[in-house]
Amino acid sequence: MAEFNPTILAFCCNWCSYAGADLAGVGRLQMPPNIHVIRVMCSASVKPEYVLKAISGGVDGVLVLGCHIGDCHYMTGNHRTAKRMPLVQKVLKEVGIDERRLRLDWVSASEGEKFQKVVTEFVGEIKNLGPNPMREVKW
Amino acid sequence: MNDLGKKLARLAFEERGADFLLAMREEHGNVAPAMVSKGEDVGDVRLEVPYQLVTILENIYPWISKGKIAIITRRCDEKALAELAKRKYVDDKRIIKIGLACTEEQIERCRCEDPVPSHVDVGEPHAAVKGDELSARLAKMSQEDRLAFWVGQYKKCNKCFGCTLTCPVCFCDDDCVLEERTFVAEPSIPPGLSFHMVRSYHMIDKCIECGECERACPAEIPLLTMRKLLAKDMKEVFKFAPGDEKTVSPLNTTLEGELMGDECDEC
Amino acid sequence: MPRIGVFVCHCGHNIAATVNVEKVIEFAKGLPDVVVAEHSLYSCSEEGLGSIRKSIEKNKLDRVVVAACTPRTHEPLFRKACEMAGVNKYLFEFVNIREHCSWIHTKEPDPATEKAKKLIAMGVAKAGLLEPQKEAESNVIPTAVVIGGGLTGLTAAASLVAQGIDTHLVEMSGKLGGVLGEIEIIGPEFSRSKELLDELVNDLKASSNAKIHLDTRVTAVSGFIGNFEVTIETKGKSEKIPAGAIILATGATELAPTGEYGYGSIPGVITQLELERRLAKGDVPKRAVFIQCVGSRQPGREYCSRVCCNASLKNALRIVEAEPNSSVSIIHRDIMSYGTASERLYKEASDKGVVFLRYGLERPANVTQKQKGLVVEVYDETIDENIDIDTDLVVLATPMVSREDARDVAKLLKVPLDKYGFFLEAHVKLRPVEFATDGVFICGSARWPSSVSECMGQGLAAAAKASIPIRKGKVVVEAITCWADADKCAACGSCVIACPYEAIEIVEEEGRRYAKVNETLCKGCGTCVASCPNDAMQQRGFTSRQLSSMIDALIKNAMEET
Repeated sequence: MAEFNPTILAFCCNWCSYAGADLAGVGRLQMPPNIHVIRVMCSASVKPEYVLKAISGGVDGVLVLGCHIGDCHYMTGNHRTAKRMPLVQKVLKEVGIDERRLRLDWVSASEGEKFQKVVTEFVGEIKNLGPNPMREVKW
Repeated sequence: MNDLGKKLARLAFEERGADFLLAMREEHGNVAPAMVSKGEDVGDVRLEVPYQLVTILENIYPWISKGKIAIITRRCDEKALAELAKRKYVDDKRIIKIGLACTEEQIERCRCEDPVPSHVDVGEPHAAVKGDELSARLAKMSQEDRLAFWVGQYKKCNKCFGCTLTCPVCFCDDDCVLEERTFVAEPSIPPGLSFHMVRSYHMIDKCIECGECERACPAEIPLLTMRKLLAKDMKEVFKFAPGDEKTVSPLNTTLEGELMGDECDEC
Repeated sequence: MPRIGVFVCHCGHNIAATVNVEKVIEFAKGLPDVVVAEHSLYSCSEEGLGSIRKSIEKNKLDRVVVAACTPRTHEPLFRKACEMAGVNKYLFEFVNIREHCSWIHTKEPDPATEKAKKLIAMGVAKAGLLEPQKEAESNVIPTAVVIGGGLTGLTAAASLVAQGIDTHLVEMSGKLGGVLGEIEIIGPEFSRSKELLDELVNDLKASSNAKIHLDTRVTAVSGFIGNFEVTIETKGKSEKIPAGAIILATGATELAPTGEYGYGSIPGVITQLELERRLAKGDVPKRAVFIQCVGSRQPGREYCSRVCCNASLKNALRIVEAEPNSSVSIIHRDIMSYGTASERLYKEASDKGVVFLRYGLERPANVTQKQKGLVVEVYDETIDENIDIDTDLVVLATPMVSREDARDVAKLLKVPLDKYGFFLEAHVKLRPVEFATDGVFICGSARWPSSVSECMGQGLAAAAKASIPIRKGKVVVEAITCWADADKCAACGSCVIACPYEAIEIVEEEGRRYAKVNETLCKGCGTCVASCPNDAMQQRGFTSRQLSSMIDALIKNAMEET
């Protein structure tokens, strides 16, 4: 049986985590090729509906990366993200989907190494969790 | 006008100064919500038929530009009104709540953990139920079994939207995002899991556990149970429960509990 | 039906060495609405840009996707190329297959190629739903308002008028100079503050562009960059000043001790500023002990106030110079004399007999009054002994703290404070001396305790930045602002609360209530979008349909693989 190769969606904010991801690239910091980044202006604009849609559709993991608390380019945007994502995790948990398939973390524009670490860790974790059970469900 | 009707008419119109009364009324053997004006015959009021009068109120309120409206409110109705008042959908000062304490059967059926309104005008208060049996069963299940359970339940859904229409705190009405293809990829019936997960997320800081959604569902999906599970999570994570006009949803505040993006009000 | 062109860049070897560009092109050709898929060695070169423009014209493209490096560097370049070829610059989508792909998967070329395909599929899906946008423009009022007439405010105002910009300097008290006005000699060069301040004040008074308002407070601020209205009040009379930019230079104050070391009960225990006043009058003590970090670097006020050590060193040297037989000690928890000039001062003080003793936070010194003079008992950490120092004066070097009215000012200007009450700038590296709110700038000790040269540098920086929109005469708002579909909006108010800039309000038009976004206040963060339950609120260039289509594209291409 072929090894499970997760498909992971990542939302990165323009001012911090996307820049941090760029820095990781510039530094040639190697990481597993499973994550696909959607650029947004602020992590606060990531609608919980996107996460729920992605996971319902079979995406194995979703990573939401914003600025550190206190550093948001838009003042308190990331506070909202910090409130919303734990609740999305609860929605997943109650319906029977492992809440670890959604991860929220903070990566600043200068943290290329942290980006590499978070991505590598998350991919490893999703590999352990196995494929999203929703892949098998036919509606 | 039955005795109950007479009592409510006196309470609402004479004692509390209402211009209208919203209650469940029996006519020709059918029970339906009715809006009675002051001076009109209230009719035969029935209280034991559960119904979301607040949903009715929310729908007709824009057309009642003046006057005070008395409404029979259970504890859950009170909480629903608080959530509506928070969003300025109703003006608190124009609503007169006639507190109704639910019967033991009603409390049992709703698995209600908060059944007594802040002010009881009709009915005898009874104790709350200790918990929801299905919730307890689900909590003990493995993740796979839990998912299998809910997928099995949700596959029965035929997108009648009964749950959203009867829900008193669901305010998007005709423009519900679940009707579109943006977040619910499946055009078919049953809609996919995201339909129910998105609804769950939207309800998480608004649901007052009245149970109307479950009562309305023709497929008998245990919707109230899912609401209760998430209400418990909300309490655990943010120590918040909807239904109090003075409290703000944690989704509307910063990590310090502040409104309006003010970085720091204390320093 | 959109006509999408996909342009994949080799970036020399940077992309092509890992990602199989030919395979990616073939794949892209099969994507929905893609009319042409081409590649070039360096898309950003003149040649590369030229070939994109030619392709747009030849293939009648109306959407352009470039798969190359990061949009954070070259997006403006490609947008311009689109404009030149007649395609609205907002009909362009950038896919990052270098920093986010080829560079980080160098040992996995096949998976990297598959990933690049998926990223491009996502970009193409979004591009198909992009809409042309027009950037809103607004005029800038060519006037600046500087709040605070201390050193920093004077420096900023003088710089602005030197550029010929009309500037109003608003000062709360009856005179200019602020805290520096109370300090006669400034280190490390021992120059006279009066000369520095007089020069700045004279520059202002000589300029026809400057208007100085003394005994004046700011009572209201409204508007946005380029179009502020600042209301000031002088002795009961109100005036409204239209302005394009506002500079905040309200400074800080010296912390007044609350009885520490006998302050207030033992005569001879004074603060640094009190010492400054005595020295200015020629009242030089024979013996003095400076105690550093009084009220700072401790729980509740953890920061170092940065200027107090240098002030004590300077004043210690002044005493030693004026009184040859003086005896001066500085008891400290670290000497913060950063920079070559201040380090020299530290050495000079030590050479000239100033005694330095290190004490610890857990064992502060004790000051007692004797028949003649005072005694400071301190536990010297370096030699592990208790030392008694006889002295005439004990000078408490207390930190600079935020002003009590800082919170009121913060509310007036809708700008943030940190937990110590100092103003929070937008970004320490990317946007120094700016607030997140465009057109308002922060400099000097109001931002953080700063030395004379730092205050001046920041004042000049703020003036330079403030002059930019004034010189340009116009501000352009990037078309990534938000709007609510009035028909869908349920007027629940979630977006109003979510907006960090208070840019949204619920309005009533023709009996319909809905959320309306003020486009000049909107910064395009999208916080409102995620708080909207029925998807009425959208962000231009990041609509929910656009982003959802990217997720659909990912799912489609990922599921087909496995």
